[in-house]
Amino acid sequence: MASINDITNEFVRNEIQEYLEQPDERESVIETFAKISPRMQEIGAALIDGQHKVVDELTLKAIADDIQALEVMDDGLIAAMRIVGIKFRENFIYVPEVLGCARAMKTGMAHIEPILSASGIKPAGRVVMGTVKGDLHDIGKNLCIMMLRGSGFEVFDLGVDTSPDEFLASVEEHEATVMGMSALLTTTMPNMAVTIETFIDEGVRDDVKIMVGGAPVSQEFADDMGADGYGKDAMECVALAKKLVKEQAEVES
Amino acid sequence: MQKIDKAEYQKRLDRISAMFSDMMRHADELSTERCPYKNRFDQCTAQFGCRNQQKSDVAGEPFLCVGDDKLDYRSAWETA
Repeated sequence: MASINDITNEFVRNEIQEYLEQPDERESVIETFAKISPRMQEIGAALIDGQHKVVDELTLKAIADDIQALEVMDDGLIAAMRIVGIKFRENFIYVPEVLGCARAMKTGMAHIEPILSASGIKPAGRVVMGTVKGDLHDIGKNLCIMMLRGSGFEVFDLGVDTSPDEFLASVEEHEATVMGMSALLTTTMPNMAVTIETFIDEGVRDDVKIMVGGAPVSQEFADDMGADGYGKDAMECVALAKKLVKEQAEVES
Repeated sequence: MQKIDKAEYQKRLDRISAMFSDMMRHADELSTERCPYKNRFDQCTAQFGCRNQQKSDVAGEPFLCVGDDKLDYRSAWETA
């Protein structure tokens, strides 16, 4: 059985000692990290700390040094994300910190993407996501993006206060098959319909499937405005995106 | 350039998705009792105004969240 001292990285050791309270879970994490190389532990430590620039640098260097991409994923990124998940579940950290760690993971994964591409592995789909014009609420959208990326989608995040023209330009630039719009306010919700109208006016509505979500949005509202789907949360967003990618592929074939 | 086996990559994605799904469920539960924009230091990370934001004593630090989480925090969010 491995001991905590078999883990070389001090930050990771401290994280385990401070935050992992369930004995079986703690043992299992120690067992995992004890087998992980110091370099990968360093990537993991940076991810847990939400240091996306450090994850970026270390992952880039690891891949350049020909460390296997799956090792980077397993030992550098996924193992660390497990600790993040436990800390979140036990309320030691909250949504903003989790999103910071997810951002760090994304920067690491960015260096693996060229290898995926060279291996003939395509993303599950290309999705453009944004919060509509006039709306600055982004947590729901960001959680959806985290889930989509974790499921293998390539996501282009337009952020908040996104105009119809910005949605349009991004879909065209990235040749996205799905576009997601989020709104939290009843006052900004109509901007979803305005954006859809813009796609119709430009004659490109059939080029992309449009999904919508957000606290005040409902299936009925989505249907009324002519969206292709509505997701009530991040998990539904992924299932919906998968369905819409498939439908769009059928339209285009 | 090195190559990745598609099936092996998919296994990793499945593990990430399972982990993230658990996090999403927890985020959903947590949102009923704590504003999702409030970080571990009780600072506000929102890009919009909220009546629960209070200027920090330390210059350059984000606003502190002074919401008590007992009421629906969303009514404090400013919409304009």
